[in-house]
Amino acid sequence: MKKIFKNLLVASALAAASLTGISASAAGERYVLVSHAPDSDSWWNTIKNGIALAGKQMGVEVEYRNPPTGDLADMARIIEQAAASNPNGIITTLADYDVLSGPIKAAVASGVDVIIMNSGTPDQAREVGALMYVGQPEYDAGYAAGLRAKGDGVKSFLCVNHYINSPSSTERCKGFADGLGIDLGNQMIDSGQDPGEIKNKVLAYLDANPKTDAVLTLGPTSADPTLLALKENGMAGDIYFGTFDLGSEIVKGIKANVIQWGIDQQPFLQAYLPVVVLSNYHRYGVLPGNNINSGPGFVTKSGLTLVEKFAGEYR
Amino acid sequence: MSELAQDERIKTTSPLRQALVRPELGSIAGTIVVFLFFGFLAYDSGMFSPRGVMNWSTVSAQFMIIAVGACLLMIAGEFDLSVGSMIGFAGMMIAIFSVTLDWPVWTAILVTFVMCTALGALNGYIVVKTGLPSFIVTLAFLFILRGFTIFFPQLIERKTIIGGVSDAAEGDWLASVFGGKVGEPVFIWLADLGLIDVFERGNRAGQPVIDGIPALIIWAIGLVIVGHFILTRTRFGNWIFASGGDAQAARYVGVPVNRVKISMFMFSAFCACVFATCQVMEFGSAGADRGLLKEFEAIIAVVIGGALLTGGYGSVIGAALGALIFGVVQQGLFFAGVESSLFRVFLGVLLLAAVILNTYIRRIITGEK
Amino acid sequence: MTPLFEMQNVEKHFGTVIALGGVNFSVSAGECHCLLGDNGAGKSTLIKTMSGVHPPTSGQLFMRGEPLTFRDPREAMGRGIATVYQDLAMIPLMSVSRNFFMGNEPVKTVLGINLFNHDFADRVTMEEMQKMGINLRGPHQAVGTLSGGERQTVAIARAVYFGAKVLILDEPTSALGVRQTANVLATVDRVRQAGIAVVFITHNVRHALAVGDRFTVLNRGKTMGTAKKGEITPEELQDLMAGGQQLAALESSLGGTI
Repeated sequence: MKKIFKNLLVASALAAASLTGISASAAGERYVLVSHAPDSDSWWNTIKNGIALAGKQMGVEVEYRNPPTGDLADMARIIEQAAASNPNGIITTLADYDVLSGPIKAAVASGVDVIIMNSGTPDQAREVGALMYVGQPEYDAGYAAGLRAKGDGVKSFLCVNHYINSPSSTERCKGFADGLGIDLGNQMIDSGQDPGEIKNKVLAYLDANPKTDAVLTLGPTSADPTLLALKENGMAGDIYFGTFDLGSEIVKGIKANVIQWGIDQQPFLQAYLPVVVLSNYHRYGVLPGNNINSGPGFVTKSGLTLVEKFAGEYR
Repeated sequence: MSELAQDERIKTTSPLRQALVRPELGSIAGTIVVFLFFGFLAYDSGMFSPRGVMNWSTVSAQFMIIAVGACLLMIAGEFDLSVGSMIGFAGMMIAIFSVTLDWPVWTAILVTFVMCTALGALNGYIVVKTGLPSFIVTLAFLFILRGFTIFFPQLIERKTIIGGVSDAAEGDWLASVFGGKVGEPVFIWLADLGLIDVFERGNRAGQPVIDGIPALIIWAIGLVIVGHFILTRTRFGNWIFASGGDAQAARYVGVPVNRVKISMFMFSAFCACVFATCQVMEFGSAGADRGLLKEFEAIIAVVIGGALLTGGYGSVIGAALGALIFGVVQQGLFFAGVESSLFRVFLGVLLLAAVILNTYIRRIITGEK
Repeated sequence: MTPLFEMQNVEKHFGTVIALGGVNFSVSAGECHCLLGDNGAGKSTLIKTMSGVHPPTSGQLFMRGEPLTFRDPREAMGRGIATVYQDLAMIPLMSVSRNFFMGNEPVKTVLGINLFNHDFADRVTMEEMQKMGINLRGPHQAVGTLSGGERQTVAIARAVYFGAKVLILDEPTSALGVRQTANVLATVDRVRQAGIAVVFITHNVRHALAVGDRFTVLNRGKTMGTAKKGEITPEELQDLMAGGQQLAALESSLGGTI
């Protein structure tokens, strides 16, 4: 019995020692970035790298927080916690206005400056009292993509949605449908996050609907397995394929003419710029007069070199 | 035969050993250790400011509500893995009833409670009639309920979140029982005394940063008290211990084991519904991913609190402390600036330590050691 | 004097298997009647028939001379027939007090709510344990910390306290060591003297002879006759149990040690 206690004490002392090492803080300002993404969503690596780079260059400390399962109610608690820890600023997404507006408004009211990035709309950002919005309005991006596809002759599509719990995902598909001028029915499928499942669901849909003109995926999580699916059923290159976001496989796909374009919402800017803006605001009192649209940037075959170099890391 | 007086081989057990045999004491020790740990690591991070305390108290209260249900059910010898999905499902049904179908919110809430309790009864009935492990039966419901939770809002609104509940709940008497706050005058007074900060700007400037104790916390404390009372002070509580300790033996002496188990499944579902209602009323919307994986967190809190996975032994107070530990650790790691993925490492280690300690205690009780 | 409990020509068939082919048995108040049978003789079926788990296929049970049938074990218990099975129906994790009153919890009403009357339960538990000669550290001691013999005694005390008139003990000493066996046999003796009819089922002749008033041998589902204490020797009993010749052959090869 005593032995167990002793072991537990030693273990917790070691744990405490190691953790204090990790939490050694910088002398500059401290910002917290809160995202809605579950741990499994790899797209946010770019964001983590972006804030790390910005933090280094501006001499500030930026922490990354997210709800492990993607549960937005947990995210609300994290925002409350972040505000209670008195940072200089909070950078957060607005994945669900109903859930998150309360904690964000409370954070603003208690003196913490907030910038909204990635999700939500500029209007919502203004309503919660944020300094500004840096991101790509989802519906608009989808709409622009839909218009572009319509101009290229597309009349029907499949939207592979791998994070259907977030309303921004459905905004993209809806925008695309509206851009094409058709109704969003069951062209949007809930593919889940598992690559094997995604591939099989895409294959099943295309089998059942062979006359589909185009495929729209919402990120590398859904694009990579779709590339495999199209290779398997021989439609690669024949079917119009556009995607949101970039990634190493997507870049390969663009080069191989399987993917027509990727919409780069330039997450690097969504991470980097808020940190720069906040640091300068807190140091010198300057603030850009407008929201910053980080995207959409349509990346086609001709714009690929830098993208390739930093795919998955900063692009 | 009168020399049965004192067998010289029975050691008088040390008070420490005797004390450890109570299920709660492991979790009391754990709570003290956790607070000391974070007191040392995060004392100036805002964790012990009024807002910080409110933050981890709320998270702990969330866990406490479902831990009470999971605890009683585990003592009765069964598991409910569908709790997380039930939370998502209940929240979604309240939102659909009150926003899409435009029912008054109190009706939506009451109907949802009836539905959830009935689903709990169904879980229990299937387990009892088929003799299948509850692990499997409730796992099936985990998928079924989660599937419907994603399907319904998509069918109705092509989205997976249904909002607008706060508007619908305006002025509703039952909504405030779950989503309201208690004790506002006290906090205003504390702010006047300067003990609590006030908001600096915006349309809430001058108001105290904490405007009341959330109904969630009141529900958590209430359920813990009721659960503890039923378990330790009533006849039914003895039947819960008996059903989990040895269902066959209990049946033999006339304990209605089936009825006990079904009731505990219903209670577990009820707790999930309380959680969901508080969440929907507070946040004003229901999402398809709410409650994901919470059933495991509830079970972990219960095990940390001293219950045996095999049933027949445990404590509601212990489970409540386990939930407190869980909440403090989860939020505390954020305050301490630790990389959030390490939370899972910490959790796993904590769970392992708790289970080993519990096994050791069980051996003391049943005299194997 | 009419026996308290009697079975006449009882048979029990399970499909084509004849588990009991003719059982004649009776026991009176204050008597300990030992039922001896080797493994496979049909003892467990007999116990279950006596305690109401199985209705007999033919034959009749009597209580105080009146014929009776049981629909289920609860009814048998209601009539005062209590069985202490080999696995005891004790839950090791729970305290003695809770185990003692399991299913029959005493209730006190406070403010309209029915509460488990722990004070009453604790007090009575300690008293009954004292009577049986078991010294507990306290009523909250877990049953798991008691020895096998003590657990048997608790189970017997429980049955007696709740009004057993006929107490059926299924192999109570088979898993116990020497000293604990002595304790249990003493308990049986005490119970018998309190006026309860005890049916003591065992395959150990020496234990049976220590407490029994009458002895009946069960072999292949049939009772082979009853003898009173003093009328029969242990060797004869053993022969009857094992079927005579087989045991004689074994005995000689083992040098007469059994």
